[in-house]
Amino acid sequence: MATSFLPRRPAIRFNRRQITLLSIALCTLFLVAIVFSNRFMGDAGLDPALTQRNQPPSLTHLFGTDWLGRDMLTRSLHGMSLSVRVGLLAASFSAIIGTGLGLMAGTLGGKVDAVITWIIDVFFSLPHLVLLIMISFAIGGGTKGVIIAVALTHWTSLARIIRAETLQVNSSDYVQLSYKLGRSPFWIARHHMLPHMIPQLLVGLILLFPHAILHEAALSFIGIGLSPHTPAIGIILAESMRNLSTGYWWVGVLPGLLLLLAVQAFDTLGENVRALIDPKTSQG
Amino acid sequence: MKLNLKTTSCAAGIVLALSACVSSTPERPSSQNNAAAPQQGGSSEQIVLALSNSEFDDGFDPTLGWGRYGSPLFQSTLLRRNSELKFENDLATSYTVSDDGKVWTVTIRADAKFSDGMPVTAEDVAFTFNQAGESGGKTDVTVLQNAIATSPTTVELRLKQPQSTFINRLATLGIVPKHAYSAEYGRNPIGSGPYKLVQWDEGQQLIAEVNPDYYGDMPQIQRLVFLLVEEDAAFAAAKAGQAQVASIPQTLAVQSIDNMKLYDVKSVDNRGIMFPFKPNTGRKTPDGAAIGNDVTADRAIRQAINYGIDRKALVDGILEGYGSPAYGPVTGLPWEQKEADIEDGQIDRAKQILAEGGWSDKNGDGIVEKNGQPAEFTMLYPASDSIRQALALSVAEQIKPIGIRANVEGKSWDEIEPLMHSNVVLFGWGSQDPTEVYNLYHSKSAQGDFNNAGYYADSKIDNVLDLAMGAPNQEEAIAFWKAAQWNGQTGFTTKGDAAWAWLVNLDHTYFVNTCLNVGTLQIEPHGHGWPITANISEWKWTCN
Repeated sequence: MATSFLPRRPAIRFNRRQITLLSIALCTLFLVAIVFSNRFMGDAGLDPALTQRNQPPSLTHLFGTDWLGRDMLTRSLHGMSLSVRVGLLAASFSAIIGTGLGLMAGTLGGKVDAVITWIIDVFFSLPHLVLLIMISFAIGGGTKGVIIAVALTHWTSLARIIRAETLQVNSSDYVQLSYKLGRSPFWIARHHMLPHMIPQLLVGLILLFPHAILHEAALSFIGIGLSPHTPAIGIILAESMRNLSTGYWWVGVLPGLLLLLAVQAFDTLGENVRALIDPKTSQG
Repeated sequence: MKLNLKTTSCAAGIVLALSACVSSTPERPSSQNNAAAPQQGGSSEQIVLALSNSEFDDGFDPTLGWGRYGSPLFQSTLLRRNSELKFENDLATSYTVSDDGKVWTVTIRADAKFSDGMPVTAEDVAFTFNQAGESGGKTDVTVLQNAIATSPTTVELRLKQPQSTFINRLATLGIVPKHAYSAEYGRNPIGSGPYKLVQWDEGQQLIAEVNPDYYGDMPQIQRLVFLLVEEDAAFAAAKAGQAQVASIPQTLAVQSIDNMKLYDVKSVDNRGIMFPFKPNTGRKTPDGAAIGNDVTADRAIRQAINYGIDRKALVDGILEGYGSPAYGPVTGLPWEQKEADIEDGQIDRAKQILAEGGWSDKNGDGIVEKNGQPAEFTMLYPASDSIRQALALSVAEQIKPIGIRANVEGKSWDEIEPLMHSNVVLFGWGSQDPTEVYNLYHSKSAQGDFNNAGYYADSKIDNVLDLAMGAPNQEEAIAFWKAAQWNGQTGFTTKGDAAWAWLVNLDHTYFVNTCLNVGTLQIEPHGHGWPITANISEWKWTCN
């Protein structure tokens, strides 16, 4: 059939820039909707209703109900909202620390570089989960403990990448020239380095996000973090483990799918924003 | 469709990755040798039991508490409880109690041997009791003055004062060999029980074989393999045909497994919420933990909660019907005071009690207040226990309509311990020994640990409990145990001080292979799993 080889003409045609902007808008909308979903969903679905337990997905309960009759859609959205906020906060915090220390190490060099590299090595030498447990335990657990622990431990790999990138840019001619012209290291970091770091930073932020969520779930699972009835996506997934052998698939699969979509949305968002701001692709 | 499959497997992958991240114990023990590997299907040669249990954490030394729930398995006891919980002779052939109740003279059989071939003598019995008294472990023999062997088969147990519950020590304390006892005994238990320890991989599995020197009827099952796993892993092992006995949570009892039969065993394993009894006056425990809670110190609050809870709904909704409502700590035992039972699920009655107690909702937020103090408290449950989580959440939901707000929080035991004297805690108890009632409610039991954590204190109740402990024997003590619960005017149950709100008694649910005859199971104490072994030497494999 020869006709099938002809490209179908879409009703409306977007150029690449418009598609990129549209993707950004859609992903942002989705993530913002998740973050604020708990506001308009209300808390009613979070309370146990023992007579309606273990119901498969239906029109009244789109995600079904769990072993206490709680509505899984409400719980999942509350959980995603909390997780996205915890993840975002922790990832942003990590990105700030990582960028700051990476830039410092790269531009100041010498002793500062040695100390920062040493701190990074110390962090790397400790098992991540143990470090998380120690920090969140020291702070006293709960949501606060989880956020601070996750934020304080995820910056190391990012700092390393930024440091390497900075060193590379630092040795380039225009930076050397800038030094010769008497610019301060801070001015150079701000004007010559930082623009190069933004794409790295975005990738780092995206990569940190699922990490942060999974570590939040791990912390709460062992009882140091949040209460096991708190609707956090990790807790919900951990709880669904118990139901793998009993056939209540919806308590694990649907929230998992939601998590997947959210992570994918972050990824798409990151890729598109990078395409827009990266000098190599922004004019395409 | 392709996309769907992909995303579904991704979601499953996330679930699995998460479990890999967070599971702290291996789901299934790795088999160190071939003989230990779980075989498909049991036989009279070997059966596999998948139990979720932490009873073995301290090793197998009876003087430190091993065997106080269920049977010590590797050791034998002077007496034992039969399926009707009546005491019968085991190692003992007879015993007498002196008129003042202070001297117990026990004669033991002469033909019993330890698994190393040495005979069991009165010296060993005396040594065991003295050792248990010194070590001050979880086996409570503090009332013992000393134990003396007066002949090779006669031992005298001398008490500081008469204790009606002392007979329970005779039925739970496994006899250890004096010649082979050391600090390492807990890992290498030589005893005169029906089985001997072959291998113990801490936290993973336990293997036992028949003790050829056992003096009683030889068990038919030659070899027992205990897999120590999480509850859902026990279910999975049973479903895969790898275990012939599996202890499973009540929530999974509605499932069915081929060739397995569900055993629903009554127990005194109870769950209840403990109220701090005193207001917070700044008093501290010896460890510096705060004592008291201003809201729960008010009897109206405690009684209203007791009347407001619908226990039947908890049993049906959370335990899937595998349980019964609890109004006191000793349901189903001979010393239960039936008159202490109440009609529950009465929201109006609860509201009335609150109103009479001076609590009313003046600011319209749905929570009652008294002198500006809202009826609000924190309710703690151990985060690892899903049944207690469900109970705590459901109770909080049930008492909302009467105007009391319980903020539920799940924490680890380490976190709960410093908080448990000043916050409401969802506890579980249950023993075949009435000493527990004394431990829960006597003011002297409150020493800053789990016993009487709420610092309940009532001089009348103290007197009655002292009388019960001091009665000449367990039968005569029953009247006092009942009176302490409710005697028409006072008591620690709901109609009296309502020191606790007892919620439910769990039934212990097990899947047992249809080929295995486990005889008549007794009412089980606290601790789901190990108690089923109480009569394990009588178990029979009925298929070929």
